Amino acid sequence: MILILAITIGCLFAGGFYLILRRSLVKLILGLILLSHGVNLLIFTMGDGVRRGAPPIVDKNGVAPINVADPVVQALILTAIVISFGLTAFILTLAYRANQVTGSDDLDSMQGEG
Amino acid sequence: MLPAIVLITLALAPLGLLARTGPRPLVGWALALLPALSFALLLFQLPQVTGTTQIREVIPWVPTMGVELSFALDGLSLLFALVITGIGTLIIGYAGHYMHDDPGLGRFLLYLILFMGAMLGLVLAGNVLTMFIFWELTSVTSYLLIGYKHDYPGARRGALQSLVITAGGGLALLLGLLILGEGARHAGVAPNQIYNFDAIIAAGAEIKAGPFYTPALLLILVGAFTKSAQFPFHFWLPGAMQAPTPASAFLHSATMVKAGVYLLARLAPGLGDTPLWHAALVLVGGFTFAFGALVATRKDDIKALLAYTTLSMLGGLIMLIGLGGKYAAEAVAVNILAHALYKSALFMIAGIIDHEAGSRDLRHLGGLRRMMPATAFFIALALLSQMGIPIFFGFVGKELLIEAALESLLAAPWRYAALAAIVIAAVGYIIAAWRLFKHAFLGTSSPTLAQRHHVADPRGMLVSPAIPALLSILVPLALLPWASQLLAPAASVVYGKPISFDLALWHGFNTALMVSSGAILLGILLARFERPLAALPPHLPAWADGADLLDRLLAGVDRIGGLIMGTLQTGQLRRYMLYNTITLLLITGVPFVLYVLPGLSFITPDPQLRIYEAFAAALIPIAVVAAIRAESRLSAIISVGVVGAMVSLFFILFSAPDLALTQLLIEVLSTVFLLLVFSILPARFANLSSPATRMRDAILSGMVGLLVAGLVLATATTTIFEPLAPYYLENSLAKGKGQNVVNVILVDFRGFDTMGEVTVLLTALLGIYGLLRMRREKQ
Repeated sequence: MILILAITIGCLFAGGFYLILRRSLVKLILGLILLSHGVNLLIFTMGDGVRRGAPPIVDKNGVAPINVADPVVQALILTAIVISFGLTAFILTLAYRANQVTGSDDLDSMQGEG
Repeated sequence: MLPAIVLITLALAPLGLLARTGPRPLVGWALALLPALSFALLLFQLPQVTGTTQIREVIPWVPTMGVELSFALDGLSLLFALVITGIGTLIIGYAGHYMHDDPGLGRFLLYLILFMGAMLGLVLAGNVLTMFIFWELTSVTSYLLIGYKHDYPGARRGALQSLVITAGGGLALLLGLLILGEGARHAGVAPNQIYNFDAIIAAGAEIKAGPFYTPALLLILVGAFTKSAQFPFHFWLPGAMQAPTPASAFLHSATMVKAGVYLLARLAPGLGDTPLWHAALVLVGGFTFAFGALVATRKDDIKALLAYTTLSMLGGLIMLIGLGGKYAAEAVAVNILAHALYKSALFMIAGIIDHEAGSRDLRHLGGLRRMMPATAFFIALALLSQMGIPIFFGFVGKELLIEAALESLLAAPWRYAALAAIVIAAVGYIIAAWRLFKHAFLGTSSPTLAQRHHVADPRGMLVSPAIPALLSILVPLALLPWASQLLAPAASVVYGKPISFDLALWHGFNTALMVSSGAILLGILLARFERPLAALPPHLPAWADGADLLDRLLAGVDRIGGLIMGTLQTGQLRRYMLYNTITLLLITGVPFVLYVLPGLSFITPDPQLRIYEAFAAALIPIAVVAAIRAESRLSAIISVGVVGAMVSLFFILFSAPDLALTQLLIEVLSTVFLLLVFSILPARFANLSSPATRMRDAILSGMVGLLVAGLVLATATTTIFEPLAPYYLENSLAKGKGQNVVNVILVDFRGFDTMGEVTVLLTALLGIYGLLRMRREKQ
């Protein structure tokens, strides 16, 4: 189980890094999206083990199910998902504006216009 | 009392601003009461400080690491502290006269009092770290004082050079002191005492035998030599003459520049008496002693002339400490006091000449003795003391200097070299002093000077130099028993064992007197030919000027910095990303491959693995490759959407329903946004990079992927820290009144984090709004 998560995270990082290294602004944005997925999953594996079928919800007496999943990393990821969405939205707007000004999504065409 | 003197002086420094307005000389003298009070307080301690005894006051700071704010008063500290406060009193009063029409006097006195507090802290510190803090503070205040006239490029250059040299030396010193502390620890000193001066000196023999001695000593010497302007770091001191004269008289003759001498004198009983110590101190000190005196004979600017004799005398003091022995210890104590007295008087009178005659260039002065007879009298006293003429204090100092060289336990070549340096310096002082007096006070007035009216003795201003100048003759004639009482404990500290001595003017006909008389005769003889001597070669080649060399060095550093920045900082995001990627691969990847990879188990059998999990996992790499290779906007959006959906699926499968919900919602929103924005972008993506670049990036990012996957495998199974989860699971219902633990963490336990998250979203929203709105306004 951890192996397939590791491969998945590796793929997301590789794809994210590759796209961020591109000259096109659109690809940069796609890369950031992939990278944030990768980081979220990475945090997911950093907790107290990855579990199946035991969400961190306690019963009416406050007792957690056996072999429960780690709630701390989930809380962290929830925050991270929302923040990366904010970042994506902002960067998309930036791309929209940049395109309006320069008419291109080539990052090199945006230099020197202070 | 000791911390109080230092800290109150520092805290009261803003009082200097009082001098911004009001009757200037009066305010100056009123402020002079502050150091005068400290002087009196310290003077009362004199009876308690005999031999090598000391008064100690400690404020604990980081006791476990031996760091404390520790103050100690012994003979050497007391001598320095009295010089600092005594001359400080005169200087502050003098500054009120000297700068009576300068609007910045308040600022100047603020710096000056700050410096005085720092200098007092330096000499009263009982612990090397305490001393170092004040050491640096004196460098900073010196910088502010030299750069006081910051409108002049010369002042800025002098200030910067002194800061670069002394603060650079300070860095070496800090390192040296820390290594010295380690040496003390190695020598068996208790861990909370390793930075204590006494403990270091007591453990001197063991430290000298240990491995830390040589590096520590070399670094400390760099610190001391830079601070005390020793060759080849000497050039900052003449540059520092850009400071207003009161600062030059105080910092750059009597006090701050002696900090290096002070430190070496204090450490001498512990760290001295090794071949390295003798060689370094006698060579550098002796060379600077002779070199400074010779250069001084060729200078026309009075302050430059005095600056070179100052650095020469500092060299003499360092040479003495290097020679070692009882006479050297006595000579150090006597010469510190004698030099402080005559040199501060000389500097203050140089200021008076500048102030009254409008110039301090010997070529434009002359005949001042008729206009300023009292000034001429006092400068003559100070100059005679500097020349070492009998019955003056300087003579007593010089006799002891020669005695120290003759009686030193070092091998004969060292002693003769030291003696030669003394004779050269003595002759040089006589020529320089004669030149100064002759060209400024004798002869006829220069035409420019004759046109100035009101060139006369400034009575108020003359009080300050008159006192040390008179002491230069009164101490040897009338106050020698009192001076012995002050100087004997100081010499004892330098020697390491109690010395009692009675200074005397007349030691009978001995070798020292013969050498001294010979030097005086030779000096008088040569002084007749000072003019042809000054015109004589060798002149230093222009490239060998230390100040210019430093300028060029700094410019070179700037250029190299600019070159590196121009190469690295291209303004392209992907370039920076490339550096980051490579750095990540190097600093994480290399250790990973070396240490973690061999012990990694790749295949762990997982009987629970379901077919749909493998399917979801397999879809992600496919979607990633599709996103990379996408040529149209729609296929890119779909590929990214697939990745998001599969990640949500993972969350569902692995017990994170809240994450799955959020991720799905966000995924839908993101897709909408992407569609909106991409719709205005070009329909087809062009390949902007060359195939080679793409290949390089693919290899690098592939390696990052492998590294991260490996890290996940390596870390997922290890538990170094105690998991946090049990706490939240147990307390969710009890303390947070909720069954969904993730939600309780978000809104309750870590509520502030969520508030931060909301703030980020709000900021992004404002940014988006601003970006869109900016467009509309332009239209």
